[in-house]
Amino acid sequence: MNGTAVLHSIIDGVLTGSVYALMATGLTLIFGVMNIINVAQGIFVILGAYLSYALSVHLGIDLFAGLAITIPTLFVVGIVVERAFLSRIKGPERVVMSILVTYAVALVIEGVLDMVFTANYVELHAWYVDQSVRVLGIWLPYIYLLGFALALVLLGALYVMLYRTRFGASVRASLANQTAAALVGINVRRVSTICFGLGVAVTAAGGMIYGATNAFNANSSYDLISRLLVIIVLGGMGSLGGALVAGIMMITIEDLVSVVWGSTWSNLSFFVILVIVLSLRPQGLFGQRSVRVA
Amino acid sequence: MSRLKYGWWLPVLAVFVVFPLVEKNPTYTTIGVFALIFMGCATSWNMFSGYSGYINLGAAVFYGTGAYTMALLSNHLHVPGSGDQFWLVPVGGLVAMIVAVPFGLIALRVRRHTFVVITIAIFFVVQLSAINFSFTGGTSGLSLPLIPWLETNFNTPFYYIALGIVIFATLLSFAVRRSRFGLQLLAIRDDEDRASGLGVKVFAVKLTGFTLSAFAIGMCGALYAVFIGQIYPQFVFDPLFDISIALMAIFGGLGTLVGPLLGALVLESMQQYLTLQFSSSSLYLVIFGALFLVIVLFMPQGVVVYVRDLWTRHSLASDDDSTPMDPALSGSTSA
Amino acid sequence: MRGKRKLFRALSVTSVLVASLFTVATSSGASSSGSIAKGQPVLIGASLSLTGEFSADGTAFQAGYNLWAADQNAKGGLLGHQIKLKIISDASSPTQVITNYQSLISTDHVNLTFGPFSSLLTLPAAKAVNRYGYAMVEGAGGAPSIFQSGLKNVFDAALPVADGLVPFAKWIASLPASQRPKTIAYVTSNDPFTEPQIPVAAKIIKAAGVKTVYNKVFAAEVTDYTPIADEVAAANAQVVVLGSVDVPTVSSFMQAFEQAHYNPKAFIATAGPDQGTTFLKAVGSTYANGVMVPNAWFGGSKNAESVKMVSEYIKKYGGTASGVNADVAEAYAVGQVITAAVKATGGFSNAKIITYLHSGVTIQSVLGAVKFNSLGENNQPTAFTFQWQGTKFVEVNPTTDPGATKILYPKPAWKA
Repeated sequence: MNGTAVLHSIIDGVLTGSVYALMATGLTLIFGVMNIINVAQGIFVILGAYLSYALSVHLGIDLFAGLAITIPTLFVVGIVVERAFLSRIKGPERVVMSILVTYAVALVIEGVLDMVFTANYVELHAWYVDQSVRVLGIWLPYIYLLGFALALVLLGALYVMLYRTRFGASVRASLANQTAAALVGINVRRVSTICFGLGVAVTAAGGMIYGATNAFNANSSYDLISRLLVIIVLGGMGSLGGALVAGIMMITIEDLVSVVWGSTWSNLSFFVILVIVLSLRPQGLFGQRSVRVA
Repeated sequence: MSRLKYGWWLPVLAVFVVFPLVEKNPTYTTIGVFALIFMGCATSWNMFSGYSGYINLGAAVFYGTGAYTMALLSNHLHVPGSGDQFWLVPVGGLVAMIVAVPFGLIALRVRRHTFVVITIAIFFVVQLSAINFSFTGGTSGLSLPLIPWLETNFNTPFYYIALGIVIFATLLSFAVRRSRFGLQLLAIRDDEDRASGLGVKVFAVKLTGFTLSAFAIGMCGALYAVFIGQIYPQFVFDPLFDISIALMAIFGGLGTLVGPLLGALVLESMQQYLTLQFSSSSLYLVIFGALFLVIVLFMPQGVVVYVRDLWTRHSLASDDDSTPMDPALSGSTSA
Repeated sequence: MRGKRKLFRALSVTSVLVASLFTVATSSGASSSGSIAKGQPVLIGASLSLTGEFSADGTAFQAGYNLWAADQNAKGGLLGHQIKLKIISDASSPTQVITNYQSLISTDHVNLTFGPFSSLLTLPAAKAVNRYGYAMVEGAGGAPSIFQSGLKNVFDAALPVADGLVPFAKWIASLPASQRPKTIAYVTSNDPFTEPQIPVAAKIIKAAGVKTVYNKVFAAEVTDYTPIADEVAAANAQVVVLGSVDVPTVSSFMQAFEQAHYNPKAFIATAGPDQGTTFLKAVGSTYANGVMVPNAWFGGSKNAESVKMVSEYIKKYGGTASGVNADVAEAYAVGQVITAAVKATGGFSNAKIITYLHSGVTIQSVLGAVKFNSLGENNQPTAFTFQWQGTKFVEVNPTTDPGATKILYPKPAWKA
């Protein structure tokens, strides 16, 4: 172990972590606005990755150009799922019910993906996936840099939309207090549907980067969802900034520990840190304002 | 009245007792054993999480502890692969309870989804420890003494022991539900601060309930280890186990007595059966998911509560027999 | 109260209905008499992971079993009985695998059973099958724990796991001093399949004076392999031995190595590169050049049985010999072992088959000679090392073997 290795692992962690943060942001947005825990987020990521795969292999469309198709597609998928199933959930048990419903949706999508694409692992390829550039004496893969940039751009766009537009104002109002939002004339139903669509749409980008940096099949979704859930709780559920910080923090800690101490302990130490943080700050790192109290 | 009220348990119990005598095909008695193991776990889980509203997604810690206790003890004490191992089943439960105390001391300080995630985190700490430490056999897991019995009636002792655990867990859950202690758990679910203000020692009550729920789950884990003969860390400390028993309880009706039993019976059997029948492709996932979706959307409060509500509406319409709900069935869900 | 009783009655009826769901096909007693009526097919059952964690290998095994059955049927089946395979999925779950084998034996009344995929599932499955006195011939359960379990009915046709890297290690040791690498790095996932292989190889290589500059175990469930791979790259060893179980691990390491502009003189991974086109597709066909993998079989094997199987595989599924997954051959060999046993014992009695397979006979298969010791391990196969050269998968080790191609060493640059 030396200084370069530590620096390297931190940079790796930040770059990879930002992509996880992007996927987690969708999840936390959905929770914040709708009080829904979307456990299908993991399979949506894989769906996004497979869509990119299909476009690039069968139609020769570049991975980034393909996002122009996959992001809207997943947005629509999200809207359909919300309208068809989630909007039917009512009553005090919304959170618990949403877990059941989205779990069932995830099972169905997993089964379909498995039938269409088989269980063989695939990975996305493009020139920038395999090449790298030397910065500060460290080789940085283009795909990690591009993934980082993409995550920042999309998170930035999300931020602008939430804080600089009328629609964003209604979303934030719904985040803060649904009843009050409805009272001042905000169509909370519509806001919810669109937010769910947006939350799912970001997985198209996350999935593309994930698929370019990992070989995957439909089963990879289980690993993803458990990490995404942990990230949003660590960051504070419903907090967009929290998801960003927690996502980067989680992967950086894992990477750092695996270099300093050994990879078999990296997950373990991450979870120990999580337990400690939550014991001291039950609402997560940035959770004080957005977390619902009921 | 109370005799009549609970009289329906008897025929149901009779069905379970008679099942392995009638059903001689080990395929279905095996599914029966797994279903019973999950029924025991779901009921015991519900006794804490359902009543108190603290959704514990780290119950596999208890299950795995029971399984490892069984494997380590029967290997170190050189228990032969015969019925003798069964005496260690309660020991597995006790060790699980011992593990539950520090687990609870850490986790029960926080509430709601933070509690949920902290239980997941502690679960992973324990699972990864089982993988990393050497006394657990690491990734190779532990092998239990080979049971020399032939298939004829191999499942029978497992079936009845599992049934015994289910009956025990149900009676315990029922007793808790009827006790002052149970009411305190419910009070915590409804409003913890208020309960505390009214003099309930909330932390002690939560910790007791949490620890108590570990016992039957630990026993199930120990029994599973003997039944399957070989344990691996990722299969006994299985995150899907955590999700499954919670789904089963919620599916049947969270916080009800019958719900987890019914949920576990239906879901575990259905999953095994569908996998068996439609396994030439991933179609079974689609079918299972779709069925699940339909049931959840139509019975959002859980099957038991749905049926009860249906009945209440029916009885209100047909006659004026609208006695208050059986407390064991009511209260339904609200966290 | 009347109403509630009615409700409870309804509930109990429901329970009875659910319970009786399973009582539908009540029948028991497996047919282990060993004889099948004339004109009746012989039914062989197997549970494979067609979904879940092991699904990639599970589906390859399915192809191997099917291919064997089709071939054998074309030759007139087994003792004149056509073979019918019943393959069901266990979704990579040890619970389901037990139910499945019981169902195959009790409900479907299969005459023989073939093994599932992965050591993790083989042991529980073998224990369940053992209770019926059935033999379990398998091709994917070579972890030492299986042979220490005291089971008498398990026979693994594939290479015992621990010795896989031996030819590679011997080859390194045999290189003239000028060519012999000076440094080596070992990095392995914590898995019962990979971990035992490393110390066996390391001992031989160390004796030859090659310095170990890196030796670490990584967690199988890790999210991001880059820091580990970067660390290996930073150690800058001339040879890398990667203990991997699947394609994603190998492809992540290769990608990270290439991005770090690190190109070892030799790179071997314990599993992944043996998966034929699946591997090529995942890593990109131009990147595989020079990558090695230990195994007992490859698509270009000159073994007559194997040549035939490969040509049939290509006829059925397309592709090239190099693209055939080694799992296919391992599964096929299972069928051949059973073929020999059934012919020799003149029937389908599992007891006789078990005795026969323990008797020290040597059986020819696509994997080469198969001979079981008292534990059910196949102690015959020679371990080979294979290498991707371009898009061709060739045998390179042992170098004395007549079928061996000259090893590509040092490994060309990634993508060259």
